Amino acid sequence: MSKVNRGRGLLIVLFLAPSLLIFAIYRIIPILWNLILSFQRWKLIGIPKFVGFSNYQSLIQDPVFWESFKNTLYYFFGGTPIAIGVALVLSLLVNKPLKGRNIYRALIFLPYPITPVAIAIIWKWLYDEKVGLINFILKSLGITREGIGFLSSFTWALPAVIFTTVWQSLGYYVILLLAGLQTIPEELYEAAEIDGASGMRKLQWITLPLLKPSLFLCFIVGIINSFTTFDVIYVMTNGGPGNATEILVTYIYKKAFTFNEIGPAAAMTVILFLFLLLITMVSNKISGGEAGGVHYYE
Amino acid sequence: MKKNIRFVFLLMILLVVGFSLLWGGGGKESAGPKSITLLTWNLPHYSDTINQWIKEYQDANKGVTVSWVDKKGTELPTYFQTQLAAGTPPDVIDIQGALWYQYAADGILLDLTPYFQKEPEIKNRFEKNILEAASNFGGKYYMVPFYTPSTVLFYNKILFKEAGLSEPPKTMDELISYAKKLTKGTVSGFLTLNFDWLYWPLFRANGVEILTPDGKKAAFNTPAAVQTLKTLAELTALGVISKVSWTGRWAEPNGEFGAGNASMLHAHLPALRAFQSQSKWANDQTIGVAPFPGKWSVPNYHGFCIVSKTKHPDVAWGFVKMITNDKWATTTATVLGTLSGNSNADNSLIKDPNFSKNHPVVAESFKVALSVSGNLTGITRSAKDAQIKDAVYSNIQKALFGQMSAEQALAEAEKAVNRILAAQ
Repeated sequence: MSKVNRGRGLLIVLFLAPSLLIFAIYRIIPILWNLILSFQRWKLIGIPKFVGFSNYQSLIQDPVFWESFKNTLYYFFGGTPIAIGVALVLSLLVNKPLKGRNIYRALIFLPYPITPVAIAIIWKWLYDEKVGLINFILKSLGITREGIGFLSSFTWALPAVIFTTVWQSLGYYVILLLAGLQTIPEELYEAAEIDGASGMRKLQWITLPLLKPSLFLCFIVGIINSFTTFDVIYVMTNGGPGNATEILVTYIYKKAFTFNEIGPAAAMTVILFLFLLLITMVSNKISGGEAGGVHYYE
Repeated sequence: MKKNIRFVFLLMILLVVGFSLLWGGGGKESAGPKSITLLTWNLPHYSDTINQWIKEYQDANKGVTVSWVDKKGTELPTYFQTQLAAGTPPDVIDIQGALWYQYAADGILLDLTPYFQKEPEIKNRFEKNILEAASNFGGKYYMVPFYTPSTVLFYNKILFKEAGLSEPPKTMDELISYAKKLTKGTVSGFLTLNFDWLYWPLFRANGVEILTPDGKKAAFNTPAAVQTLKTLAELTALGVISKVSWTGRWAEPNGEFGAGNASMLHAHLPALRAFQSQSKWANDQTIGVAPFPGKWSVPNYHGFCIVSKTKHPDVAWGFVKMITNDKWATTTATVLGTLSGNSNADNSLIKDPNFSKNHPVVAESFKVALSVSGNLTGITRSAKDAQIKDAVYSNIQKALFGQMSAEQALAEAEKAVNRILAAQ
């Protein structure tokens, strides 16, 4: 390598170094430390003690771990597909040259930037059994005679929380899908129209296939959100009633900071990470590899 | 290019290690003035008094600086644990309930037994039953009582009169029959707080213990417990016991009672101000206070512990001694409206005619709480108290809301608790 190239390379690396340093301190080192902690028993003071796989063993025997895992899967499968489906419909609608579509786009996106804690507090009030707006409407319409304790009900608590997060995340998915729709060449639709294709056929054979990368991205974001949502559940139900809304992330927090079991909490985050990695790899495979990428052939 | 990347990567590692050595190093006695930090549990409304404590201690001990950090209850354990992990814990911490058992078991808290032995007059300041419940773990003392509420039965005299009841219930059968009589429309007969074992007198009054005397096994899965749980579930389904008893934590139950939606509230002393502040009906003439049937009471004490990693244990001890003396304990009891655990302070307030005249319900609640201080329940003395509590309550809740039978709920809870205890 010539001296000039070496010098340039060093300059590039030195410019990258501060960001890489921050990345190493706040991402790489905590991840590695967490992995090490998952094999230790640590009482927050003194030297951690190596315990092998016993933290993982204790999780396997813990019924609340399995319940929280099941709830997390329910949270994902019950929320993300619905959110993406509704977002797809909304994005197709607001992609059309409608009057006032910018206002519709703004209204759809509005909940997303609001802090999740504020969203949780607002929806907690909306769901309230005695003074909540939802029960007021249901009783006014004669659908129910008494208020429904959405957040205190073992049946309704998790669906109620899922609905809240779907409502909040819709705007983000719409933005992603809208961006994807903008990249579809108009000529394809024109050519299809000339060939006499109906709206549904255009959707089926042009829009959806070419939207695959955006849909894949929404799916991955949805997975990550469902497996890492903490604040909404913590504020609305704190995992209750019973363990009805306990998901992995809230149980990790409980294990670490309420029960002071740092090792098992670290072990749970490792399991969570591996599961997310597995789902991402499987999704990538199902979508044809290359993160849902689409090849255009001339 | 590869060599450069390797060089930069090594440089990064060295920098990280270097920084951590500089910042992470602890245990060195700092030269210069002594400084301690006090961490309190949700006391922004007590700031004037705390600042006076700090001023008084600093004036009397030149060269000592006291800093104060206050955290909400939901944030304090997380904050404390992260500070411990970082090697910068506070020196004195105000802890609630049984949270400190785990810390004591893990060596995070300083054993105060030698201090009490050296200065028995400090130990003797406190009401014996309260001190034992608040501070004793494994035969050693770790906590100096700060404020010591325990549960009593508050009742709405107006609703009692309307139902033709002149006195509060004295037995569990009376409690249930009164609650049924007082249930009308959207108004429930009975409401309880549920966190930190506060609901446990409902079981203890029927002879149910949490753990065996040696603390090694669950003791609550008994026919009496099954019957109690069935009864509670039936009464909840009928609206006799408000559902908020099992789903709310602090704001909701106090709000319900304050709004007049329940006739009796089983709660500890701070609830009085909480529900009174949001109530139109609750005043000194309309609130009644009585012991829970069987005189069972659950302590939810606050006390000061000294962190074992403190660099100035004697300074911390001096500070804790001062802020729990008779003068400051009287202020605590008066301002916070709950017993301080300091015998002189609490008894002097009870005997003070002005206090009784100006705060009749508070004075009455002090008398009731003191009268039941020998009948405390809901104490596991287990380092795994938080997990045991969670395992029991989450299963009990399922039975209360008809998700599973009482037998199954208690069996599941027993299995979970025995597993937790065996893993210790």
